[in-house]
Amino acid sequence: MTRPAPIYLDHAATTPVRAEVLEAMLPYFSARFGNPSSSHRVGREARAAFDEARERLATTLGAHADEIVFTSGGTESDNLAILGTWRKRRAEGRDVVVTAPTEHKAVLEVAHHVAHEGGTERLVAVDADGVVTTAALEAQLDARVAVVSLMWINNETGVVQDIPALAARARACGATVHTDAVQAFGKVPIDLRTLPVDLLALSGHKLGGPKGIGALYVRRGTPLAPLLHGGAQDRGRRPGTENVAAAIGLAVAAELAVAERERECARLAALRDALERALLARVPDAVVHGAGATRAPHVLNVSVPGTDSESLLMALDLANICASGGSACQSGSVGASHVLAAMGVPRDLAAGALRLSVGALTTEACIARTAEVFPALVEKARRLSGTSSPGAPIACAFDAR
Amino acid sequence: MRKRVLVAMSGGVDSSVAAALLHADGYEVIGATMKLGCHGDADVADRPCCSLDSVNDARRVCERLGVPHYVLDLQSAFSRDVVRDFADEYARGRTPIPCVRCNTFTKFRDLARKAAALDCDFVATGHYAQVVDGALHRGLDPAKDQSYFLWGLARDVLARLLLPVGGRTKAETRAAARALGLQVVAEKPESMDICFVPDGDHVAVLRRELGADAPALARGPFLDRDGRVLGEHDGYARFTIGQRRGLPGGFREPMFVVAIDPARRAVVLGPRDALLGRGIVVREANWLASAPPRPGDAVQVQHRHRAAPAAATVVRIDGDEFEVALESPLPAIAPGQSLVCYDGTRVVGGGVIESGLAASPGRATLPILAA
Repeated sequence: MTRPAPIYLDHAATTPVRAEVLEAMLPYFSARFGNPSSSHRVGREARAAFDEARERLATTLGAHADEIVFTSGGTESDNLAILGTWRKRRAEGRDVVVTAPTEHKAVLEVAHHVAHEGGTERLVAVDADGVVTTAALEAQLDARVAVVSLMWINNETGVVQDIPALAARARACGATVHTDAVQAFGKVPIDLRTLPVDLLALSGHKLGGPKGIGALYVRRGTPLAPLLHGGAQDRGRRPGTENVAAAIGLAVAAELAVAERERECARLAALRDALERALLARVPDAVVHGAGATRAPHVLNVSVPGTDSESLLMALDLANICASGGSACQSGSVGASHVLAAMGVPRDLAAGALRLSVGALTTEACIARTAEVFPALVEKARRLSGTSSPGAPIACAFDAR
Repeated sequence: MRKRVLVAMSGGVDSSVAAALLHADGYEVIGATMKLGCHGDADVADRPCCSLDSVNDARRVCERLGVPHYVLDLQSAFSRDVVRDFADEYARGRTPIPCVRCNTFTKFRDLARKAAALDCDFVATGHYAQVVDGALHRGLDPAKDQSYFLWGLARDVLARLLLPVGGRTKAETRAAARALGLQVVAEKPESMDICFVPDGDHVAVLRRELGADAPALARGPFLDRDGRVLGEHDGYARFTIGQRRGLPGGFREPMFVVAIDPARRAVVLGPRDALLGRGIVVREANWLASAPPRPGDAVQVQHRHRAAPAAATVVRIDGDEFEVALESPLPAIAPGQSLVCYDGTRVVGGGVIESGLAASPGRATLPILAA
């Protein structure tokens, strides 16, 4: 029995590797398998390819090639950026990491870790749409701040921060500025020749590249201690044999994403808006999170009152539609979203949040099909979701008969 | 159209085989592992259930069968309906069975509701009990029978309940696991502990739930049945009716816990014959039989998980409370445990033991626990 291909509305989680990307990578798994550190011809070939990947990726960002560090992905890039800089800068008396409560765990957990290592974490309040205002950021800035880390596009809500303005403020107080641009790359114009950030994280698999590769942009002169030890690769910033094929894949994917950005963003925004309109038309009390903010074109985060995301996601999955809820925990259950909590979304409403994210695989037919099945699933989830109130009686079958 | 069934999968051999058997029988199987909060995301070694490893085992079984698997977060309801009640019962000087409440509330109310929301025709578990013609019966393997824990099910759930391993012995289940290619789980050890009570240390759970300074965990007297002080204990919640371990020595005959009196924090001791009860008062009754018994009806009752069924007569039914008179006295009737009524192998119904009665009911009743 073959099932039809699922309707994939989870591009913010990951994307398929593009054909051009796969094709560019393939030789480096076989004929050109060399280790870039080897001095012989096979090694030199790999070195040349890796250097080229670094240059091509740098070009997409308006950066110098030596400002690119390839990593295993967004999480490592965020860790390296924040911890690596904080560990260097605490010697100058700057021991504070400033970030927002709506950040990805790869940033929030690192900020907690900094506190564990004797530093201080400060969280900037966000408004009801999840936006960090410059005033809110200013309130947390002083001469003790080592790093300010703010996510450009929120992975759960798609809310866009005004990174150029926020970064300028943070810079003005002497902080090193990091931005997690994992969702933003290919969605907003990024030009590091003018953008006042020092560190910028990106990830391959969010933009049609492979998993297991990411990059950290490190502006020349930014203090950075490595997290890994054991080799001189990448100037010691990231020891370990280079993932040549994946680095090439990331570079090619990044080039394509930048080249297609305007056209693709317009297409995705139209699809997302159509989905949003259709869902709100059929479920009028649904609540769109971050609706008052500038939002990325590909993400729709919507809560249906009286449902829980767990039930809705299962029902959608069984109807062959892939979406996601809050942050997935290790066991695979759907946890309550810390992002929505930070935005002040009531717990009950946050419990029914769905993230639907459009992308390369999304067509108008996907949207139409989703809009078609959604109301019935919501109806059923509303009738049956949740657990009963405390002290609800056991359905007691005692009766006269 | 294939019938859809939600299988509650702990990652153990029984529920894994249940899922595989239903899959082989042509059902559309959906696997679900309940996250009950006994592990968080931490990896707990040597715990047969509820660890992250167990979730992964259930997932691997589902992957092998080619069926979807979900993790259902039932932590808050479980912690309220089961864990908190467990602590409160000990604080009342009783001996609860959390597995009964987990079945009644968590598995067969909350999970069954999820199943309904997913258009499932059936709910299945790996329990050793059987559903025959809409009636619940003991599991075929007397050593594994779990029907004692299932009396609290709503009757409408019974109508859509499948218990695929209930007609097998444990050895047959393990053999089936091997035959079905479920090596992942075939040799897993039996789960014996209560899932949220690691190492059987229920006092640690009580300390967390009730607070370290709770009266149930504070010093109190050992008394004899006449109220004379025999010694001091570290908290009455450490004791259960019929217990011998941890009691002071130096008596002419073996002494047992015969009562617990939370008001005085007292643990009352007495000789073996003081443990015997001739009647039992039961509350929270739930009848699974379409025609519940009436006063005067003969039933077999079981007052502990491993106890043999005993002949009894129903003497009173008032709403969700009932009372039985025992043909022969039974030892260690512990408030908080379940009393399950059987007709042969069929579960007629059950409830939570409120008290044992020293004299045969119907005449002047004298609760053992009247302190």
